[in-house]
Amino acid sequence: MSFIISTKAELIKTKRSASFWLSLIGSAVIPVIFFLIYVVEPENSSRFQVKPWELHFTQGWQAFAAFLLPMFVILICSLIPQIEYKNNTWKQVFASPQSVGNIFFSKYVSIIIMILFLFLMFNIFMILSGIVPNLFYSKYTFLKSSIDWGALLKLNFKTFVSLLGIISIQYWIGLRFRNFIVPIGIGLGLLVSSMILLPWKHVDKVPYAFPLRTFMTSITESKNELAGPLLQNHELNSIGYFIFFTIIAFLDMRFRKERG
Amino acid sequence: MTPVIQTTNLNFSFRNGAKTLDNINLLVPQGSVYGFLGPNGAGKTTTLRLLLGLLKNQQGKLEIFGKEFSTHRIEILKRLGSLIEQPSLYLHLTAKENLEIYRLIYKVDKNRIDYVLKIVGLDQTGKKKAKQFSLGMKQRLSIAIALLHQPELLILDEPTNGLDPNGIIETRELIKKLNKEHNTTVIVSSHILNEVERMASHVGIIHKGKMLFQGPLQELQQMKTRQTSLEVETNDNTAAAQLLESFSIKSLNGKLVLPFENKEQTAAINKLLVQNGIEVYALHPQQNDLEQLFLDITSDNK
Repeated sequence: MSFIISTKAELIKTKRSASFWLSLIGSAVIPVIFFLIYVVEPENSSRFQVKPWELHFTQGWQAFAAFLLPMFVILICSLIPQIEYKNNTWKQVFASPQSVGNIFFSKYVSIIIMILFLFLMFNIFMILSGIVPNLFYSKYTFLKSSIDWGALLKLNFKTFVSLLGIISIQYWIGLRFRNFIVPIGIGLGLLVSSMILLPWKHVDKVPYAFPLRTFMTSITESKNELAGPLLQNHELNSIGYFIFFTIIAFLDMRFRKERG
Repeated sequence: MTPVIQTTNLNFSFRNGAKTLDNINLLVPQGSVYGFLGPNGAGKTTTLRLLLGLLKNQQGKLEIFGKEFSTHRIEILKRLGSLIEQPSLYLHLTAKENLEIYRLIYKVDKNRIDYVLKIVGLDQTGKKKAKQFSLGMKQRLSIAIALLHQPELLILDEPTNGLDPNGIIETRELIKKLNKEHNTTVIVSSHILNEVERMASHVGIIHKGKMLFQGPLQELQQMKTRQTSLEVETNDNTAAAQLLESFSIKSLNGKLVLPFENKEQTAAINKLLVQNGIEVYALHPQQNDLEQLFLDITSDNK
């Protein structure tokens, strides 16, 4: 009960904050670009005759999973703890009657809610960016074709799991540093390095490459039409990283000598 | 009656090893307004942060409401309100939204928000964000947060910092009122003695991490009386000193200094000297104010 209250209080703090707008704008960027392309160049419609949604989603998720999504996680995991740092409110939070567990996990949950909100809005915007141009240009076949909801849901779920490792690492760094440039800098550095490491055989152990790995395997899976296990190695590793860094981050907050 | 706050041999050092607190035995009686006095950097904030668990206690015992802090943290924090140093507010939120966050956490009734806003005079701020507030308004909103759950104990660290004279008086009156009407115990730190003198019932003076004085305000005022003196200047100080032998008399810069009791005594001394043929040039009661006393106490310990 007290945990739900703490989380509710956390969500009030995000009202009108940068993190809320970031989720909204972040989810809209790619769909808006697609929408513009479809509307400005209707001749594109010839490419979308067969399986229009599949092509649309594949193109959208590629940019989303590879860069935008990890980038968003890096920002949001810094911005949420930053609300307390910027306003000098950590001391008031720690002097309020909440257990350290409640403080730690209510923030964690509000970050995850933001990320789920981003997923939801991205899907909605993606679907709209197919439907709306079709209303103006009848050559598109989005309205006539159906969406493979099962595959879409699976892709959403697997991508979210692949992000868990990054979320836990970034949350820990975000809590640790008052200066938000540090977690963002570290996050971007690791993201870029993991892109370079993509051809490496041990890339399944590099958390910042996981979302792109999930996207790539889902493409090959759908091309070969063979269904692998629901969670692949790197996704299981992502859960492992998540558990490990969550424990580290919690213990770090629990045993810190100076709070706020 | 158990004191509201009691610390036993509290010691604290920051990472650089310098001792910030040295055997602090704080004793805040129930229903008191405890003025925690000391120059900047004396260890006031460190002590108050320890009381709230914002710093990890290193050595010594810390009890609030008669309970050990480390084992009863949440239970204790529920019953106290605090304001540490500069205001801590969510600047992108309105006054009401700021209070709503803490209303949820302290589980208090919705109408308390309007009530405390009225107390601190911020009930007309509407949709204005806290970042548009003046420093005084921010400070008042912080006080409103501290009052929201009607705490039995208020811990206020320099609450009048940055306030204009009017704000200072209002805050002082508010503290007195809460103490009187709700029997709230208040510990309020300050580096301005005058301010403490006007609202405190008890005083603790801390300097360089050591407690130099602790007790009721009257006790401090009595110390002040003891330190008040009468300066006497005559044409023959040696003879005068012999006449005034019964007083504990000191000779200082060609003047005689003796303890001051009252005006009648001053007149009697004058009469005695004149009757014995000594010319009195000056009789000067030297009133030591608290300010001076504070300086004396702290400078003795350099």
